[in-house]
Amino acid sequence: MQQIVSGDHAAFSELYNRYKDRMYYYFYRMLNNSTENANDFVQELFMKIIAKPDSYNPAYAFHTWLYSVANNLCKNEYRRRGIRLEYQQYEASKPDIDFLNETIIEPQQVIEKIFQTLDQLGEEHRSAFLLRYREEFSIREVADILGLPEGTVKSRLFNARKILAEKLNYLKDEIEF
Amino acid sequence: MNKRNQDQLYSQLLQNDQVGKPDSGIEERLMYSYLLKSRVSKLRQNSFSSYFGWLLSFQNLGLKTGLLSMVLFLSVMNNHLSQSQGSINGSDTLFIQRVLLADTTNFIQPLDSIRTDSLN
Repeated sequence: MQQIVSGDHAAFSELYNRYKDRMYYYFYRMLNNSTENANDFVQELFMKIIAKPDSYNPAYAFHTWLYSVANNLCKNEYRRRGIRLEYQQYEASKPDIDFLNETIIEPQQVIEKIFQTLDQLGEEHRSAFLLRYREEFSIREVADILGLPEGTVKSRLFNARKILAEKLNYLKDEIEF
Repeated sequence: MNKRNQDQLYSQLLQNDQVGKPDSGIEERLMYSYLLKSRVSKLRQNSFSSYFGWLLSFQNLGLKTGLLSMVLFLSVMNNHLSQSQGSINGSDTLFIQRVLLADTTNFIQPLDSIRTDSLN
């Protein structure tokens, strides 16, 4: 980051290439699986780094800080759109009939089912879930990124796992990797 | 499913999930913006505008007051030390030396003359 502040073009290029795919995935999954939104937000995130590189606090790990900025952008977008999804008392239901009738269930179908379920829980659960299982952050790191107590993160992950387990329990023997 | 199996399942599923890559045009736009930003910041680094801006602003008033008082103190002390009582500059020195020499001569001569007069 110090090199970026001092105007090192190669350093910025390396930083972008290191994080672009991960950030694209995060925005894609956080913002309704939209390619357009994901591209826009990746650009906005790195534009923020260009505009204010000194806003990074070296006391924290860079990737933790980057994800916290990305998460704030997502929150702002939800607020702007006014589609904050409140926690819905989710009644575990059986998977769709056509889903069960498939002889072999592809992992991609399971992933889509997971995200459909997470959509019903809200963006708070989805962000915690993505950071924990896709990016493999520790609970503490997820808590730092989301600006929440560790207990809250654990509780959100527990809720997500519980509801997903009810969904996926029907499929566990049929998933092929 | 127990918790461990479930965690492994989610990790494995999400790690293998592919959603594509960002548009290549983004990198070009970002690099251009970065180039512009770094040029502007280099121009600013070479100018005195930020220094004068800081000097005339209300930021770091304590530091500025301290520096100012230190400069004043040093200049006063320097002025005071340079005006020592023994050193006299320029034509004054010559004038005083000349007077002193003349006085000494005058002072000795009358004594000698008195002495010689008294002896005679």
